[in-house]
Amino acid sequence: MKITLPISVTIDEALFTKLQAHLFPGDHDEHGAVIAAGIVQTKRGTRLLAREVFLANDGIDYVLGTRGYRALTAQFVAEKADYCSEEKLCYLAVHCHGGIDAVGFSPDDLASHQRGYPALLDITNGLPVGALVFAKQAVAGEIWTTNGVFPLAKMRVVGRRIFDLYASPKSAPKKADRIYERNTRLFGDIGQEILGGLKVVIIGLGGGGSLLNEWLSRLGVGHIVAIDFDRVDITNLSRIVGATRWDALSLLTGSRWKLLQKIGKRFAARKVHVARRVARVANRSIVYDAVVGDILDESTALMARDADFIFLASDSIRSRLVFNALVQQYLIPGIQVGAKISSDKWTREITDIFTTTRLVLPGSGRGCLDCAGAIPPSRLREEGVAEEEKRAQAYVDDPEISEPSVITLNVLSAGQAATDLMMLFTGLFDDHADLGHIMNFARERKLEYVGQSVNQHCLDCSSTKRSRRGRGDSVRLAVSRQTVC
Amino acid sequence: MTSEIAIAVDEIRQAFPNCSVNAEEDGQGGCYVTVSGVDIGARYTPHNASFSFHIGFQYPRADVYPHYTDVGIKRVDGGGHGGGVGQVIWREKTVLQLSRRSNRWNPASDTAAIKLAKVVEWFKNL
Repeated sequence: MKITLPISVTIDEALFTKLQAHLFPGDHDEHGAVIAAGIVQTKRGTRLLAREVFLANDGIDYVLGTRGYRALTAQFVAEKADYCSEEKLCYLAVHCHGGIDAVGFSPDDLASHQRGYPALLDITNGLPVGALVFAKQAVAGEIWTTNGVFPLAKMRVVGRRIFDLYASPKSAPKKADRIYERNTRLFGDIGQEILGGLKVVIIGLGGGGSLLNEWLSRLGVGHIVAIDFDRVDITNLSRIVGATRWDALSLLTGSRWKLLQKIGKRFAARKVHVARRVARVANRSIVYDAVVGDILDESTALMARDADFIFLASDSIRSRLVFNALVQQYLIPGIQVGAKISSDKWTREITDIFTTTRLVLPGSGRGCLDCAGAIPPSRLREEGVAEEEKRAQAYVDDPEISEPSVITLNVLSAGQAATDLMMLFTGLFDDHADLGHIMNFARERKLEYVGQSVNQHCLDCSSTKRSRRGRGDSVRLAVSRQTVC
Repeated sequence: MTSEIAIAVDEIRQAFPNCSVNAEEDGQGGCYVTVSGVDIGARYTPHNASFSFHIGFQYPRADVYPHYTDVGIKRVDGGGHGGGVGQVIWREKTVLQLSRRSNRWNPASDTAAIKLAKVVEWFKNL
């Protein structure tokens, strides 16, 4: 397996807390564990995705060593390596040293890697194996692959605070560009540098997505990947930031001649190109990928695998399925935004006006959309049926009626979402902040937190064998192999 | 087809061992399945029928419905088919559509084979 550099490990907060509690119980002694990790390889590097943590019991699995202080027993290593091989996961041995913010392997550690890891590579059928050594706020790693041995670049912890651990402290951040001076008064040059290093995917550049696009650009996010296949329509101008009548070719689409209308619709600007224009005005050094595509297509969905964060601003049940899968399978945090205006089917009277901001972190009980009931299987099926079949089945809604959509409502959910990203990466959330899904009922002027539901057998976030959590590239996303738009 | 759907087709073959099962890929990762020679009981003539359905690429996350059967099936008592059965055109063929959505579809335990068995049982008892 050819490895792309740099190599990092991503771990969710629950597993990291479990590991830290085991390694640092306060006895200043050495403890061990094994992490079983999925793998994802992209141009941005190789990420090992911590799926399970096996704690080595002191005196049973982690014993006095013959050539070092302590060691994992051969039986423990064999069991976990076999497990990793069966599950197509990478094997990472873990132990701890003293110290706070700097750590490295001892000569005995490195010698034990030389002795054991070539054989482990055979057991795991060529999937990388390696070792991590922790200090309280540092981690170093050595990853063995069939193409060589490489150092670990960092470990990313994804939770209510998203942060990176290194082997030694990073150098001080550069002074931020003056345009961010007011930002840095909140989160410092270091916070601005973190935001500048982020790659964020925005799925859907309609009402909510276009707002996120501008705000994240102005916030200083360094790289945006915008995904949408749609073109600007004149009815979008009330909601899409930066869109103009020229983008919508309104002179043509507003013509009474059907041919001119058709030409207008065919050549109107793509929403992602409008978004790119807006982003570049806000941040001239931004890296911007405007992807004309559908997240339901495999090739497009796979572009999101190396993102630091994903926003879903396109409200179809199928896109929620793919988004949720990306979060859990690749351990990428994300937020789904939406606004809904319900009306009585017969009288058309407005019944409900609400917005949702659903933060989804990897791991069980962290906002999984499937556990929350936001991906109903029957609605998934309905959307999956071809338009002709839908008409034959009489499941289709009247195609002439579009859902209402108003920019000020989109602002409520997108604004919360953009702020959440900023708070997660700059570590500004209070320890007790409720990160549950938020519903904002505009008519009642009321904000409600939706309690976390947990399905112990969830196919996305649970720790059952069938779940996709942390499996990376070894399982397929629920996407089409063919272009669907 | 996806590995989950390949397993689903195998499960259908195992659940209906005396029937012929044909699976045609839809090009998106899903497939169209036709199970022929299914016993639909004495209330109908003929007593055997074929059942066809589409398993979408999101399976097992997405429910499997509707199902389609032969338009020529008649009740021996001369009555009409019950609610949830209607004549439609599907894949350029006139068929009977059996609309049975699972309101509590559980992707962790429900399968296309179980769903087909339930639909057949429901149809037999209409």
